[in-house]
Amino acid sequence: MQTDAFIEFRTLTKVFFDERGHATPVVAPLSMKIAEGEFVVFVGPSGCGKTTVMRMVGGLETPTSGEVRLKDCAVQGPSREQGMVFQSYSSFPWLTVLGNIRFGLKYRTDIGATEKDRIARHYLDLVGLSPFADFHINRISGGMRQRVAIARTLAADPLVLLMDEPFGALDALTRERLQLQLLSLRNAERKTVIFVTHDVDEAVFLADRIIVFSARPARVLKDVSVGAVLPPERTLEVTELPAFRKLRHEVLSLIRNEETRIEAAELAAAVA
Amino acid sequence: MTLSATGRENDAAGGAATGRATLPLASAAIRKEGGVRELFVFRGKPRANIQLWVGIGAFVLTIAVWQLVTGTGLIKPVFLPSPWSVVTAWLGLFGTAGYAADIGISVARVWIAFLTSAVIAIPLGMLMSSYRVVGASSEPLIDFIRYLPVPALVPLTLIWLGIGEGSKIALLWIGTFFQLVLLVADDARRVPKEFIETGLTLGANDRALLKDILFRAMLPNMVDSLRITLGWCWTYLIVAEIVASNSGIGYELWTARRYGKTPEVFSGILTIGVIGLVSDQAIRFAHRRYFRYLT
Repeated sequence: MQTDAFIEFRTLTKVFFDERGHATPVVAPLSMKIAEGEFVVFVGPSGCGKTTVMRMVGGLETPTSGEVRLKDCAVQGPSREQGMVFQSYSSFPWLTVLGNIRFGLKYRTDIGATEKDRIARHYLDLVGLSPFADFHINRISGGMRQRVAIARTLAADPLVLLMDEPFGALDALTRERLQLQLLSLRNAERKTVIFVTHDVDEAVFLADRIIVFSARPARVLKDVSVGAVLPPERTLEVTELPAFRKLRHEVLSLIRNEETRIEAAELAAAVA
Repeated sequence: MTLSATGRENDAAGGAATGRATLPLASAAIRKEGGVRELFVFRGKPRANIQLWVGIGAFVLTIAVWQLVTGTGLIKPVFLPSPWSVVTAWLGLFGTAGYAADIGISVARVWIAFLTSAVIAIPLGMLMSSYRVVGASSEPLIDFIRYLPVPALVPLTLIWLGIGEGSKIALLWIGTFFQLVLLVADDARRVPKEFIETGLTLGANDRALLKDILFRAMLPNMVDSLRITLGWCWTYLIVAEIVASNSGIGYELWTARRYGKTPEVFSGILTIGVIGLVSDQAIRFAHRRYFRYLT
C-alpha cells in the first residue's frame, strides 16, 4: 500500500525562531509516505506540531530542511492542489452559501463560467445545502458553515484535502453528522485526505490510517493501520465494535503516556 | 415557573381548558419586555422607540433651558442669543445668495480633500499591512506627521501654495490622509489570516488576495474609518477657513464674530452641525444597508 507514494515527507524538519533568535524544534526529521486515496488522521498531544506538518503539506509553512513531495513534485507553496479546511473563519461573510462554493472555482482557468456554475451547484447539492443557496453565512449554523467550507474546497478539485480540526468547534451531534457526511463525500470523490484532530474517537472513526505523533518536536510514535482492522464501510455501529474500542484505547494510551512524559520533563526542568 | 403561571392565566382568560400549554400571544397576561423601567437597569434593553423619545426629550429640554436663560435676561443676547433669533438669523442667511455658495465651497473643499486622501490611503494602507517593505518604510514617517497639529502647518501651506484653494485643500488633505492611512492599515490587519490562507489554497495570487479577499473582508470596517475621518476633515476645514480664507462657512462664521453678530455665529455652527449629522447618518444608513450580512 505504501509503495506508491502520493505524498512523501523526506527528512522533513521545522524549527521556529522567536524574536530573540531562540530556536524551538517543532518537527523532528520526519520521513513518511501517504498513498493516493488514503484517509490519514494526525493525532498527538496538544501543541505537538501535527498542524505544522499538515501546513507544510499545504505550503503555508516552509520546511526548515527536507521537503514534502506531492505527486512527485516538491511543494513550493500554497496552491489549488492542496485544499484546506480550517476550524473557523473560513467562509466569507460577504458571499452567499452558493457564492462561497463558487469562490472555490474562481481561480480555475481550465473551465468556463457555465461549467463553474454547474460544479458549484453540484457540490451545493452534495453537502445538502441547496435550500440555503442564497443565504448569507451569518444566517446558517456552524455545522452548515463547515459544510460550505468543505464544498468550496472540493469544488476547487485539489489533489489532497487538508483538514485542520474542522469539526473542533461543533457540538457532539453535529460533529457526528458531519463525520458521516465527510466519509460519504470522500467515498464519492476518492480524495486523499489529511485530517488533524485531538478527538481520538473521531480519528479512529474516520481514518484508514492514524499517525500518532510524539510531543514536540513531532516524530511518529506509531503508525496505526485502521483500515486493516475496521470495515471500510463506517457506520455509527462501527463505534460499538470491540476492534474500535481496542484501537481507541491503544491510541489514547499512547497520547496519554506522552502527555505524562512531557509533564514530568517540564516539572524536572522547572525544578532544575 | 413564570412561563407556567402565564400559561394558566391565559388558559383561564381564553377559556381553553385543554390542559395544553398555549403561547400567550394575544392575552393581557403578556409581560412586555423592554419597557421604560429597562432604562434604569444596568445594561438594560429598552425598546428602540422608547430610546428615541428619551433622545427627543433631552433635545427639547436643552432648547427649553436655552430659551429660559435667554428669555429671563440672565445672559445677555450678545453672549447667548435666544433660540428664535438664531433660527431667524439662520433662515435670513439662506436668503442671501452668498451663503449657499459658501456652503457649496466648504462642502467641495471637504470632499475634494477627503476623496483624494481616501483614493491614496486605501491602497497604501492595504499594502502597508500586506507587505512589510511598505509598512516598515512608511509607518514611522506617517506616525510622525500624524502627531503634528494641523493648525501648526497653516503657515507652511500658505508659503508653499499661497492663499488660494490649494493651501486649504492641502491642509485638509494632510489632516485626513495620515490618520486615514493608519486606520485602513489596521482594518486590513484585522482580517483573519484564515481568509487569506483560504484564498491561497484556492489558487489566488497576490493581486486576487488584495482585490477579492482583503478588500472585501475589510470593507465594512473601512467604511467606518472613512466616516470617522470625514468628521475630522470638517474640523480642519473650519480651521483652514478661519485662518486663511475669504469664502466658506468658517469664513462667514469668523466675519460674523468680528461684527458681533452672535446669532449668525450660532447659525454657522448649526450649519456645520447639520451637514456633519446628515453625512454621518447617510453613511451609517448605507453601512446597514450594504453590510446586512454582518448582523
